[in-house]
Amino acid sequence: MTSARWTGRSPWILHFDTGSCNGCDLEVWALLTPRYDVERFGMINKANPKHADILLITGPVSKKAEERLVNLYNQTPDPKLVIACGDCASNGVPFADCYNVCGGVDKVIPVDLYVPGCSCRPEAIMDAVVLGIKMWREMVVKEGKK
Amino acid sequence: MDWYLGLGLFLLTLPAIGLLLGFDRILTARLQNRVGPPLWQPLLDLGKLFGKEGMIMNKGQVVFALMGLLLQAAAMALLCMGGDLIVIFFLSGSGSFMLVLGAFSALSPFSHLGAQRELLQIIAYEPVFFLAIVSVGWYEGTFMVEDLEGNLLGALPLVVLALVPVLMIKMQKSPLDLATAHQELVSGPYVEYSGPYLGLMKLAHWFELAVLLGIISLFYSNEEAVWTVLGRFVLVMALVIAVVVIDNTTARLTRGSVVLTTLVWGLVLVGVNLLILTLFDLGGIS
Repeated sequence: MTSARWTGRSPWILHFDTGSCNGCDLEVWALLTPRYDVERFGMINKANPKHADILLITGPVSKKAEERLVNLYNQTPDPKLVIACGDCASNGVPFADCYNVCGGVDKVIPVDLYVPGCSCRPEAIMDAVVLGIKMWREMVVKEGKK
Repeated sequence: MDWYLGLGLFLLTLPAIGLLLGFDRILTARLQNRVGPPLWQPLLDLGKLFGKEGMIMNKGQVVFALMGLLLQAAAMALLCMGGDLIVIFFLSGSGSFMLVLGAFSALSPFSHLGAQRELLQIIAYEPVFFLAIVSVGWYEGTFMVEDLEGNLLGALPLVVLALVPVLMIKMQKSPLDLATAHQELVSGPYVEYSGPYLGLMKLAHWFELAVLLGIISLFYSNEEAVWTVLGRFVLVMALVIAVVVIDNTTARLTRGSVVLTTLVWGLVLVGVNLLILTLFDLGGIS
């Protein structure tokens, strides 16, 4: 598919904090700074689920945020990718069995990639997103064949 | 104008505007000490949007998006074929209004706020844009694009300056980017559009931009065709670079100040220009 070569090159990002301590959020924002500059890969922070392709989720999913996360996920048009940024988002680590927390993001919505670290380094997030673009292109090829 | 030349121009519109917006993004990135995306990034964005799943709130949205695209494309086609400036202006204006209607048709507070601010922007730039076109007609004695001749830039330099805020509003640049205000309204009137429908809206916006830039480029002409093309390119690029630099050095104005600034700046400059031409008897219909 030639279209896959074109479509995988402008992933727009939605960043959502499901109850993070803001550590990982700061690292996500660092991606937009001159040092890391993810716009090189065509990425823009869109802040709108209807325009987004990649969901960057930080923090353990609190009970309050659960419904909102599902809502945002459903509002994002296919093909889409979910990246859980940081240890909390991956499996809820220090908050794993808390009464007010669902656990990792994958307890609520399907997750494609996990970024380890507390907080996750911007380099690690970029690595995940670049890998994500590859997966996303494969996804587009699959959609095209359907 | 020959019809095949007009057709060629019309077909070139979208890639040219895409590359221009890519240049805008690279320049913005460089001003912020970043590397920036490739030049053809806006075209890639557009291609991606048409490959995505489309979600809509109601069918009206799609109708308004299509109508907007049709009206803007018609305005651009007319401009390429050397049509009437007044008709081009109103076609493009009603196309902008379709954006407002589309945004109002969705039940979303962000979308409604965006639509209301888009209306404010229309109040701000339409009178200036219209007066600029009327002054061209007054000076040349015709509104037909194909009959325009002579160097308008020499006679109406202040009118070109008056069009800078208009270009800023149409390019959605601060300090005048009320409607699509990122970080404040998400993306204003575009907020409820997704996938291919957002692509349609983007295409309409590109044509809208092309109409304005095309009309600005008419201000320069030379007897040699090569110099005309080169001069028009330089004029448009100079204005776009100015807009991008202003965008990166200023913060967003409030609603009232946007309307006031655009109107006062635009109307005063056009008025002074016409007054000088009339007082010193330098041309135009008397």
